[in-house]
Amino acid sequence: MSNRNFSKAKAREAGQGYVFMSPTLLVLLLFIIGPILYAIFLAFHKVQLLGAADFQYVGFDNFTKIMNDEKAKIALWNTFKYVIIVVPVQTILALVLAATLNAGIKGQKFFRIIYFLPTLTSSAVLTLIFMWMYNQNGLFNKFLSIFGLPGYNWIGDPSIALNAIMMMNIWSTAPFYMVIYLAALQDIPESLYEAAELDGANVFQKFLFITVPNLRPVTSFVVIMGLIGTFQLFDQSYIFSGGSGGPNNSTLTVVLLIYQYAFKSMGTMGYAAAIAFALAIVILIATLIQRKFSKEESLY
Amino acid sequence: MKIKKMLAGMSMTALMLGTALTGCSGDKEKTASNGEKTEITLAGWGSSPEETKLLDEILKDFESSHPNIKVKRETIADQYMDVIKTRLIGGEGPDVFYLDAFEAPGLISTGTVQPLDEYIKEDFDLKDFEEPLIKAFQNEGKTYGVPKGYSTLAMFYNKKMLEEAGVEVPKTWEEFQAASKKLSNGKGVYGFGASPELARLYHIAQAKGGKVATDNKATFADQKVVDSLQPIVDMHNVEKSAAEPKETGATWTGEMFGQGKAAFVFEGNWAIPYLKATFPDLEYGTAELPEINGKKGTMAYTVSYVMNAASEKKEASWELISYLTGKEGMEKWTSKGFELPSRKSVAEKSGFAEDEIRGPLVAGAPYATVWADDTNLPIIFNNFNNQFISSFLGEQPLDKALKAAETQANKEIENQ
Repeated sequence: MSNRNFSKAKAREAGQGYVFMSPTLLVLLLFIIGPILYAIFLAFHKVQLLGAADFQYVGFDNFTKIMNDEKAKIALWNTFKYVIIVVPVQTILALVLAATLNAGIKGQKFFRIIYFLPTLTSSAVLTLIFMWMYNQNGLFNKFLSIFGLPGYNWIGDPSIALNAIMMMNIWSTAPFYMVIYLAALQDIPESLYEAAELDGANVFQKFLFITVPNLRPVTSFVVIMGLIGTFQLFDQSYIFSGGSGGPNNSTLTVVLLIYQYAFKSMGTMGYAAAIAFALAIVILIATLIQRKFSKEESLY
Repeated sequence: MKIKKMLAGMSMTALMLGTALTGCSGDKEKTASNGEKTEITLAGWGSSPEETKLLDEILKDFESSHPNIKVKRETIADQYMDVIKTRLIGGEGPDVFYLDAFEAPGLISTGTVQPLDEYIKEDFDLKDFEEPLIKAFQNEGKTYGVPKGYSTLAMFYNKKMLEEAGVEVPKTWEEFQAASKKLSNGKGVYGFGASPELARLYHIAQAKGGKVATDNKATFADQKVVDSLQPIVDMHNVEKSAAEPKETGATWTGEMFGQGKAAFVFEGNWAIPYLKATFPDLEYGTAELPEINGKKGTMAYTVSYVMNAASEKKEASWELISYLTGKEGMEKWTSKGFELPSRKSVAEKSGFAEDEIRGPLVAGAPYATVWADDTNLPIIFNNFNNQFISSFLGEQPLDKALKAAETQANKEIENQ
């Protein structure tokens, strides 16, 4: 009897909890869960949304289409190149920056602020500023010419445009991960460094054999976040190419392609949803692979 | 139907979230019409402050002559077509909005644009409009939009540069090529400031009888099209007498021209107020585009006012459209020269044909190719541009680039 009473009270309590949570739950359902389910629904249909909305079930057609789509292949390859270069570079850069800032240099608080500044700027604004600097008569080419090096057509040359975006993005995201590393660095017990010093380790050895291994869980986090972030590259390449992914498809990323299919051509909304779905799976796989290779559990 | 609309709206939200795209306009414009005053919305893209001011003045005139109608003007600053489409899907579309001829067939085919035939009366005088302009908004005998104005391309030339080099204003393409070569100094100054994109090259591409698109499919890999476009590619790669704006650090050819980095550019009406405001000391003239094979040609760009098929205030919307594109409204609208009048009678009265700078633009109207084709032009256009630029920059031969672009475009068209 008392048991039943207890469960009743528990149910009531849970009910109250849900009532209090309901605004949030509703928002989540409406704006996150709902759209996800609807996107999955779209991926299996041929859709015409304008005018008399028209849905036609096509099964896996949208997915098989991706296999024969030259542009999708280029987009995936570009995105892959981007991820493979940006993620390691930004992670290593963030780690090195954090380590130097943690080493007790004079004025390190000042440098922390300076280094963190790029992250505070909106990525769209940042892109526009960089486009000025990448201009044929811009800062970058002026800088190169000081050393007698030839300038580039950074934005217009297909062989360079993606690299220009990479440089810009590494510069702007590395500081964010640096802050995460900085926080993690505070957690490494000082005694480990002292012990290593007694054993005669130099600065590099301390970094390689104490700092890096101790930061492994954080590195894993940084890499996963980096993977997800870089796979979703959109705004920079959109602004760079004016939405076309040009020149010569060199800045076409998967998300930009999704955008093009969803909004720029009629009747390909379902196909766009299918690519979005495929991208989600690719990111999931990449994350799983990363987790497999980083042994974050075996730290202590 | 309602549920489908709602689902449709949600899908847009989903994709918007997915692509980290924010910025969906959530205007609740519709106030209950209580019979006294009807409020209609007019949406357009942002133009120069002077142009917007002029439009506001005209709208004020309209409101005073139509006291029962109130017009709410909305500016969609960026990604105009995306926003319009999203709002139409969500049932929140404006009553009257701008529509570019280039996007018109696609939007018309969805049935979201109201045919205007039942509203157009004899006294509106539809025949007064330049034939190719109004045709861009017609489909199967129905008229969907009334062009508010247009602009053609003319050749802008830098008077000082031509004088110093002792070059006459070229009349034919061969003369133009020779002049461009003479005016290039190899150090950042080029004869021809080119826009390597289909919207600017369409008439040149078809100059030798080839077709960019046939039956709503891309056919620009045709040898005749390749031959027509080859001279422009050669001007960049062989003769070094042409460059695109990006190569000189400019954002568009008008700016390149103003900065004195190009002696010739093919630009439209919009460049005139721009040059006046930004480079007031520049001495320039305009002429009709150089002839190819003894044939004149240019592009015409036009935008019309269209009515939302789902609008609940169609009568009032038509009142607005007919006022803005009527003889009186158009005269006011084109008086400052932001656009050329699409009505023949207004054009005659305006005197633009005798204007030294605008004359060549007006002269191009009868033989201009309107930048519009069929529903698939956006796909054709996107693929053409993407590959043509690489050929223009010398990375692959033109025929190969266009072949690749055509194949991809047609594949995308089939996949729709």
